[in-house]
Amino acid sequence: MTIDTDAIRHLSEAQVSVELETEDMTLNIGPQHPSTHGVLRLVARVDGERAYNVQPVIGYMHRGYEKLSEVRTYPQITAIVNRIDWVSGYANEIPFIVAAEKLMGLDVPERAQYIRLILTEMARISSHLIFMASYPLELGAATPLFFALRERERVLDLLEGVTGGRFHPNFNRIGGVKPAYGSGSATRKMIQDLPAGFLSETREAMDQVLDVTDELEALVAGNEIILARTKDVGVLPPEVAAAFGVSGPNLRASGVAFDLRKAEDYLPYHLFEFDVVTGENGDCWDRWWVRLQEIRESAKIIQQAVDGIPSGDLQAKVPKVIKVPKGETYVRAENPKGEMGYYLVSDGGQGPYRLKIRSASFSNISILPWILEGALVPDIIAIMGSLDFVLGDVDR
Amino acid sequence: MVAGSVGGEADIHFDTVKVSVSPDSWVDVHTKARDDLDLVFFSWLSAIHWSNDVQAGDSLNEEVDERFEVLTTVGDLTEGRRVTFSTRLPIDSPSIASLVGVYTGADWHERETYEMFGIVFEGHPNLVHLYLPESFIGNPLRKSYPLLSREVKPWPGTVDVEAMPEKPEAPEEPSTENPEA
Repeated sequence: MTIDTDAIRHLSEAQVSVELETEDMTLNIGPQHPSTHGVLRLVARVDGERAYNVQPVIGYMHRGYEKLSEVRTYPQITAIVNRIDWVSGYANEIPFIVAAEKLMGLDVPERAQYIRLILTEMARISSHLIFMASYPLELGAATPLFFALRERERVLDLLEGVTGGRFHPNFNRIGGVKPAYGSGSATRKMIQDLPAGFLSETREAMDQVLDVTDELEALVAGNEIILARTKDVGVLPPEVAAAFGVSGPNLRASGVAFDLRKAEDYLPYHLFEFDVVTGENGDCWDRWWVRLQEIRESAKIIQQAVDGIPSGDLQAKVPKVIKVPKGETYVRAENPKGEMGYYLVSDGGQGPYRLKIRSASFSNISILPWILEGALVPDIIAIMGSLDFVLGDVDR
Repeated sequence: MVAGSVGGEADIHFDTVKVSVSPDSWVDVHTKARDDLDLVFFSWLSAIHWSNDVQAGDSLNEEVDERFEVLTTVGDLTEGRRVTFSTRLPIDSPSIASLVGVYTGADWHERETYEMFGIVFEGHPNLVHLYLPESFIGNPLRKSYPLLSREVKPWPGTVDVEAMPEKPEAPEEPSTENPEA
């Protein structure tokens, strides 16, 4: 009997390959998963413990703001843009208002600019505190949430005291900020300005914010489980981040010292001393750490602004019916999530001809297929959470 | 300076540098911007529909050439320089080369522009709808696309179409709580 060695080898090889052949599974994450901060669906091909070809499915919250703003007037649009990134609604208004003011050639009074700056930084602190609360929670640590949300409530109370709104202040007006009761005599305007005691309460609140950052650092930075789950996980190199348009703290965590508060002049940030904090490795841990440091820097900016706030008008002189002269401009701002900008095209009417909304989270999560390729399934949550996105900011 | 090195017409208005280039040089221009000018950060890509027949929103004051304008904004990550590139495409079957090979981040922006304006990006690896379901018909951000709610109930924006509610009778004595009244 002759032995067909080739056939046997072939058979044994076939056997081996059959045994090692694992079946791919398609895993659906979301759309209703708490870690997605809104309604995001991920479709991943899972091979064992690793995920491949992760495709985000977005659009569940698409509200068509770009179309809507073509049929709205400029003052009405501030109410819309508020709702893009609802965790820091106030900050969304700034680049839009500044774009309209730029086309109108308005000089905004210094006091109004200071108020805008203080409230924008408060929005940043409250947004980052949400991250400080939710991110460790997603990794299984519940305690930081109580520390972070307690402080966020204090900041939101101050924001509410000035604007009347916790989430959607709608407080900016073209030419300045909203006086408390509309127009009036000069003395009335002074009274209707910031609420009594706001400046001293803010100073105090910022001291407490600085304290809580120390507490959060002690709670999280000393936690071995969190360190193990975030260090060297989801590393994002700076070149990749730039090509994808990833901006804000996510970009700075990758070691790029770029901050639009330094590079652009939409608000008088050049008057204040603050550092642009960067990470080293661009991993999940750095993204957490950079945001913690940014809370500290923002608190410092607010303290300086509160000390140096000038007196004066809250509003530049604007016509009763706002018409923006013909022109195009792009104004971008450093929002808590990253670069937020508006490309405003006006034809001289009461509403824009076209308003392109460049939101930070949209570009920030377009990195997901790249960064999640080959990641462990539990790391998907760790990486997604560390990018700190809001689906309203993705879908617009 | 930018226009000189990439070719095209530059125009600075309201602190925004806009360089108009031809659609044929679209990919070349962006490659040069990325490699020679160090504009490595891809900010956004979108389009404008210049139309004389506006179905939603205010019409233009002057007649324009019917066209699509495709815009991108790229920037550096050191000094804060940024440039907006612009090119024009015809109204009928607009298409342009995809930038995904130059800036990976253009992927989603091009998909959004594709579904919203119907502009085809040649060479895009996965040109399908981004926000809207695949069965959605129409390109919502074209000016010819009416806003349905406005069809049902017009709202000029300046004046409310409904009559204002009757004013309640004024109280005889001004309230002490609200000195403004």
